[in-house]
Amino acid sequence: MIRLALKDLKLFLKDRRSMLMTFAIPIALISLFAFAFGGVGKGNEETKISMQISDLDNTTLSKDAVNIFTTLKNVDAKVVPIESAQDAIKKGKESNVLVIHKGFADSLSDGGELPLELQYDEAKEIEVGLLQQSLIPKVATIPFSLGNPKAMMASRFEKMTENSSPELKENIQHQSDNLFESLSKGIAENSTTQDPSSAFFGNEVKMTKLVAAKKDNGLGLIQAVAGTAVMMLLFSVVGIGMSLLEEKQEGTLKRLLYAPMNPLKILFGKMISANIISIIQLIVMFLFAALVFGLEINNHVTGLLLTIIATAFACSAFGVFLASFAKTRQQVQGLSTLIILVMSAIGGSMIPIFFMPSLMQKAAVLSVNYWSIQGFFDILWRNLSIFSTTFLSRILVLVLIGVILNSLAVFMFKRNILKMS
Amino acid sequence: MIEIKNLRKSYNGHEALKGISFAIQKGEFYGLLGPNGAGKTTTISIMSSILKPDSGEVIIDGMNLDTHPGQAKQLIGVVPQEIALYGDLTASENLHFWGGLYGVSNSELKKRSEEVLHLFGFYDRRNDNVKTYSGGMKRRINIAAALLHQPKILFMDEPTVGIDPQSRNLIFEVIEKLHKEGMTIVYTTHYMEEAERFCDRIGIIDNGQIIAEGTLKELKSNSALKEVVVVTYDHANESQLKEISAKWPDSNLSENKISFYATDVQSALSGIISGSGQMGADISNIEIQRTNLETIFLSLTGKQLRD
Ligand SMILES: Nc1ncnc2c1ncn2[C@@H]1O[C@H](COP(=O)(O)OP(=O)(O)OP(=O)(O)O)[C@@H](O)[C@H]1O
Ligand SMILES: [Mg+2]
Repeated sequence: MIRLALKDLKLFLKDRRSMLMTFAIPIALISLFAFAFGGVGKGNEETKISMQISDLDNTTLSKDAVNIFTTLKNVDAKVVPIESAQDAIKKGKESNVLVIHKGFADSLSDGGELPLELQYDEAKEIEVGLLQQSLIPKVATIPFSLGNPKAMMASRFEKMTENSSPELKENIQHQSDNLFESLSKGIAENSTTQDPSSAFFGNEVKMTKLVAAKKDNGLGLIQAVAGTAVMMLLFSVVGIGMSLLEEKQEGTLKRLLYAPMNPLKILFGKMISANIISIIQLIVMFLFAALVFGLEINNHVTGLLLTIIATAFACSAFGVFLASFAKTRQQVQGLSTLIILVMSAIGGSMIPIFFMPSLMQKAAVLSVNYWSIQGFFDILWRNLSIFSTTFLSRILVLVLIGVILNSLAVFMFKRNILKMS
Repeated sequence: MIEIKNLRKSYNGHEALKGISFAIQKGEFYGLLGPNGAGKTTTISIMSSILKPDSGEVIIDGMNLDTHPGQAKQLIGVVPQEIALYGDLTASENLHFWGGLYGVSNSELKKRSEEVLHLFGFYDRRNDNVKTYSGGMKRRINIAAALLHQPKILFMDEPTVGIDPQSRNLIFEVIEKLHKEGMTIVYTTHYMEEAERFCDRIGIIDNGQIIAEGTLKELKSNSALKEVVVVTYDHANESQLKEISAKWPDSNLSENKISFYATDVQSALSGIISGSGQMGADISNIEIQRTNLETIFLSLTGKQLRD
């Protein structure tokens, strides 16, 4: 029995492909995910969320506030005039702007509500949510660091005790003075950013959707469907591409060459079948999501089909291209798994793009997944028209990817596959 | 019908064909006989235009294969050495597919594939996936798939390798039928029995060269190989045997055996027997060693056809 096990281990060690599957690919993926997720929890340099700040108050105090916000740990803040900030959000370049309205300084001095407003793009609510997490505690400390906290506390208690008896009011005011003394003492002694007062004061930022998404569909559902669909599609088209190598190894490719036709037709035949199967596969996946999970597609049929066709075109080209590059089926198998998993990881099939460090977000454009998934978001989430430049540019990129990979496949097919005896 | 002129082909420096030339008449059955690695498949591949020769040319029915590959290919049916079929398709589907590549219309395909299915004896199993077939049956479909466009020329590359006698006989019958119907056939093999049985003319190929060519008769007479009759005698004294041996111009006595050499033992045999009878020597055994392709190949190359 041990002998048998030893034989298996020996064979396993000799098989480079299974070694790749067992070690190299998991290691590569763990590294990618660690890189992608690691930043989010830890809040290190790389995961900075971009925040625009527009200072409409333009006072010494508001400028001090801006300085405080720019030191926010996970946030990459920059001061921008309100018009261009809002423009950037509408164009989808930025997700938010923190507006410091007129009267900020006054409110600070008399302890009133701070006129802060975060305007944002609803389509990026996850990113904005992350921003809120760092922003709100900071805002709560502003009265302490810049304003007149005593006055503010007093005004708050005033409000809270409006309808109480004068004795009680007095009592509470007195208590509050004591509390303030000890609090500020605590803060002075132990100046952390996370201030205990924040919970108490609950100084809030007004949230305003600058660009509201008409919510036909949940963000998570689209992410799940589009992300998975594209990744699985890549796996299946590689299978189709590999059938070309299988035909080479089985001898049927040679037999096809005996027939009186242009050999390139063999490749074109594969491309066509890959496209048809891909389109059907994507349609089935989206129909499934519609029927079972209630994905709303009725209003988006044209755009969805367009994205599906462009995705199928790009992905099939990828499959055929990979196959034309390799000499044997075994070669493609290991390599393609690695490439697909990496592309899916950086392209947003596994983790939503906005969770990733900015470096990885930039790398995402190198993957087919990115363009395709963004296309699906454009249609199903952002409700873009199929004539909008944003959407059309994604389709164009997908088509270009397809054209380039198909051309390379033709070139490699002539060089690699046909060169046989 | 087919003209091959001075084909040369190297694979990464190794010369697989060193100038092969031969010509085949219309309706002729031409055999390429040679051991493993002789260059048979390479020659067939070049003749079917899936491999470019380094130099030399192939003329099919007056057309240069290099300039008219499409027209020439239409005339040719190729039975590849390996079984090249789609295992997940049925026999019928395979035949339709492969025939369809040659532009045969659907109705014709239907008719012809039924004919061929009957001819090769698997009509009953036409709707089974090919991967469920035995090796011999796969070999038969492998041949059948090359016939649907009714080619004038058929290339068969070792079509009977590794199959059962029953399938082999069936294939032989079909091949003979096709030959009778006037098809020009090029048949590669390393079985000399096959070459002797079918071929009008045989080219013996070794090491990328045709080392002898002609009908079986021509090959035999050109080889200058003598055939041998070895006669073993009973109760014969030595002087008797010496006398018998001396009468025969080319013979050799050892103990109670005499080896008689002749270019054609058939005609020499009666003389040997009557001569022995006249001397009163009792023959206990006669062994005849005729010249065949095996011995010719051996004499030409100093090695066996099959290892
Ligand atoms: N693709 C190739 N690459 C390199 N060498 C090759 C290739 N194909 C054939 N050869 C070599 O060319 C020579 C002739 O091979 P070929 O296949 O034509 O022989 P064959 O007569 O068909 O042999 P067999 O009876 O084994 O089929 C051999 O030495 C073989 O090793
Ligand atoms: Mg061969």
